[in-house]
Amino acid sequence: MTQPVLSVRDLSVTFRTREGPAKVVDRISYDLGPGETLAIVGESGSGKSVSSLALMQLLPTPPAVVEGEAIFEGRNLLTLDEPEMQKIRGNRIAMIFQDPMTSLNPVRTIGHQLMEPIELHLGLTGRAARERAIELLHLVGIPSAEERIDDYPHQFSGGMRQRVVIAMGISCEPDILIADEATTALDVTTQAKIIDEIKGLQERLGMSLIWITHDLGVVAGVADRVVVLYAGHIMEEADVDDLFRVRRNPYTRGLLASLPVPGRTSRRLEAIPGLPPDPLRPPRGCPFSPRCPYVADVCVREEPALREPVPGHRSKCHFDPEDLHA
Amino acid sequence: MTGFVVRRIGQMALALLGVSVIVFALIHFVPGDPVRTALGTRFDPDVYEALVRRHGLDRPLVIQYFSWLGSALQGDLGVSFRSGQPVTGLVLERLPATLTLAGAALAVALVVGVPLGVVSAVRSGSKLDYIASAVSQVGVSVPDFWAGIMYILLFSLTLGWLPPSGYVSPLVDFTGWLRHLVLPALAVGLVSGSIIFRFVRSAVLEALNQDYVRMARAKGLSRRAVLFDHVLPNAWIPIVTVVGLQLGFLLGGVVVVEIIFAWPGIGRLAYLAVGDRDFTVLQGSVLYIATMFLVINLVVDLLYAWLDPRVRYD
Amino acid sequence: MTEPAAETTVGVVAHRSRLRTTAETVLRNRLAVFGLVILVLLVLVALAAPLIAPYTINEVDVANRLQGPSSQHWFGTDELGRDVFSRVIIASRVSLQVGFVSVGIALGLGVPVGLIAGYYGGRIDSILMRLMDILFSIPAIVLAIAILAALGPDIVNAMIAIGVVYTPIFARITRGSVLTLRDAVFVQAARSIGASDLRIIGNHVFPNVIAPIIVQTSLSLAFAILAEAALSFLGLGVQPPNPAWGRMLSEGRAFFQQAPWMAIFPGLAIFATVFAFNALGDGLRDALDPQQRSIIESRGRS
Ligand SMILES: Nc1ncnc2c1ncn2[C@@H]1O[C@H](COP(=O)(O)OP(=O)(O)O)[C@@H](O)[C@H]1O
Ligand SMILES: [Mg+2]
Repeated sequence: MTQPVLSVRDLSVTFRTREGPAKVVDRISYDLGPGETLAIVGESGSGKSVSSLALMQLLPTPPAVVEGEAIFEGRNLLTLDEPEMQKIRGNRIAMIFQDPMTSLNPVRTIGHQLMEPIELHLGLTGRAARERAIELLHLVGIPSAEERIDDYPHQFSGGMRQRVVIAMGISCEPDILIADEATTALDVTTQAKIIDEIKGLQERLGMSLIWITHDLGVVAGVADRVVVLYAGHIMEEADVDDLFRVRRNPYTRGLLASLPVPGRTSRRLEAIPGLPPDPLRPPRGCPFSPRCPYVADVCVREEPALREPVPGHRSKCHFDPEDLHA
Repeated sequence: MTGFVVRRIGQMALALLGVSVIVFALIHFVPGDPVRTALGTRFDPDVYEALVRRHGLDRPLVIQYFSWLGSALQGDLGVSFRSGQPVTGLVLERLPATLTLAGAALAVALVVGVPLGVVSAVRSGSKLDYIASAVSQVGVSVPDFWAGIMYILLFSLTLGWLPPSGYVSPLVDFTGWLRHLVLPALAVGLVSGSIIFRFVRSAVLEALNQDYVRMARAKGLSRRAVLFDHVLPNAWIPIVTVVGLQLGFLLGGVVVVEIIFAWPGIGRLAYLAVGDRDFTVLQGSVLYIATMFLVINLVVDLLYAWLDPRVRYD
Repeated sequence: MTEPAAETTVGVVAHRSRLRTTAETVLRNRLAVFGLVILVLLVLVALAAPLIAPYTINEVDVANRLQGPSSQHWFGTDELGRDVFSRVIIASRVSLQVGFVSVGIALGLGVPVGLIAGYYGGRIDSILMRLMDILFSIPAIVLAIAILAALGPDIVNAMIAIGVVYTPIFARITRGSVLTLRDAVFVQAARSIGASDLRIIGNHVFPNVIAPIIVQTSLSLAFAILAEAALSFLGLGVQPPNPAWGRMLSEGRAFFQQAPWMAIFPGLAIFATVFAFNALGDGLRDALDPQQRSIIESRGRS
């Protein structure tokens, strides 16, 4: 296997709250290969955003306490000092966020915001920076970019704004782009278009992509590998085809069962009953045990290890899929 | 933008018209006969007749109002019931002193409130934030006139650093003028400064929590660059609005503090007019103070529009 | 989306069940509790003032004039030898009374104006709110001075003046909250089953705008007490021989150097009262204001 671009090892994030410590990311590990797309999937609150913000040292510390390692080019991102980190953010690793409405500063022009990373990391100034910005806007499919570059965010539609945000993300041709729910706020058609564009850009630029979403449905078309996160734990990790073929983990099964199946609209969606655990009061044993339809005594007693019964397919469960009976 | 400006100026004209009605009505709220009340023991039938005729108080109300308004628009607010001097002259003579004090108080309020508010928000939860917030909590609850009295007690009577009251023209004695200005400006300014501090702090805190701030950090900008380039330009918008509203409060404070420090401004004029039951002078003072407030708020709103592209390009 | 459905459909019920958590949030806020404690003490003192006061307010004792604080006279004596402590605590009655009555007037005028303007919108809204803007465009204390100059200096007139001055704030806040509700599901639902406007406003709209009004009430009480003090200081409020904090301050000014306590203690009394209402108001805002609350709740969102 080729050398991974990013190796995350035992990453944990704990928030010190007034009511006590809340461990919202619990010893997660994964590798991201060059040009690979890794999807991180999980319900809202499962720790997807927090775990990726931790990589970028963008969590407020305190109250957050970050442990573990994230090796990028032989260096641990979690222990780099702020000036070093600033050289990486937006340049080598870029991140774009969920809401295109709020990710852009309303009182600064699109051009201003787009040129910031260009001037900062590529050393371009004046005309050159501007031309690069226009080029990027073209690249993400914004018509008449020369004129629109001096517009303010409120003069753009939602889809257009998200394109601008993507342009900001890829402006310095990063090695890794982390897209946190990048298309969630958009309607389905726009979402599909934007995903296509990001995939296209990924190929052209050869970047690795971390695609964060709560929607397992879009994962199939986007990702090479999938990490399923629940309550801060990795529950399952596999190549995307493997995952859809053999869902080793009860939680992943629940997630898939709750997906609408195209063409089979009549089928009732089976949402997983119950709520994710309160990070202040995590359950004993398996984090999914309070909601798991296959729960057994051992699940409540012991936390299962993240086992790898089949090479490349990890699952955090005491049982093998064929042993699971409700 | 032009639409906004036109609309806003129209609104101000309407408000001024409303204020003029209130100010005009003032005299007619007075139980009985205002001129008789004003003259009191100095009652002289000839003076009485002259005043009633001069102000047209014997004509129907509506006509009185419009002729009063017509004269007011030409700068004629009638004559003082007491001294017979033109009201406009009396007010204009005192306008610079009031503007100076209000300006100095605003400067104090901004110099204290804005930087401290920004730092407190950026270092929220720190010792500095804690102390500044506690002090401001006290500051907003101190009556400005009491603060003025306490300053006189401490800095003039006890320590002898500054004169307790009065005014000298800056043209005659600049440092003397400045020394007289310090205490009243602090009395009004520190209270407003406390209020402004609290708004600045919460506006900056709010701006700091926006997604675009996180985005800017994710692009590799330093904390400092993010603060000055992204956080503050957004925080200014609510801050400007609040400072505008604060000015009304500040002008009110100036009125009362002028009296304590024997500061020869419009507030003191109004106060003396109340004592003298000199209703025309009171009318003139109130009209000028309200106009000042409206004009300042217009300027503030235009500034607001200029700061916010969402309004500027509408 | 994360908002529980119950909260948006049956506002009244949701509010009642929220009362507990609100009370808890207020009581957890140290500043609010501090303010509340001072307030309770103040009200108790005001109620029991005639019993607590060691002297009567106009007990002249010229032999003991301008005495500093002592065991006989905790806050010293004034130029007529009257006990400053007794006068300060008796004066708390009138301050609180003016505060409550004038804010009551402001509430009584401002809330209906805001409800009507917000609920009906259109021309009624523009007219009412322009009127409020005009009142708002004269600095409060100046407007109060003008009203009092016309009506004559008197405590009842002072209450009316302060009440009128603070009406626009309540009108604006109420209208703002109503606007966010006018098209809410439960209002539409009530309208669709033919409920009268009065009924809809009373049963559905009003209960949902109470929170910001309560917060503003506490803050306005602080302002009203400050305004009364300023007006009495200017001789336009409480008339002699009755004591008022503002009036005592202005009388004390003449004896500044010999008897600073005459100005210090009434001022401290004003400060403590205003501080208490401000602190309580801030605490209530933290507990009740939906915007503040949503910041706290947003922790739970993705
Ligand atoms: N600043 C914070 N303080 C305390 N808890 C937080 C903070 N930010 C996030 N959390 C908690 O961390 C958990 C994971 O959040 P997040 O990573 O945003 O979830 P998601 O998977 O939806 O992106 C949630 O339970 C959230 O409430
Ligand atoms: Mg998230």
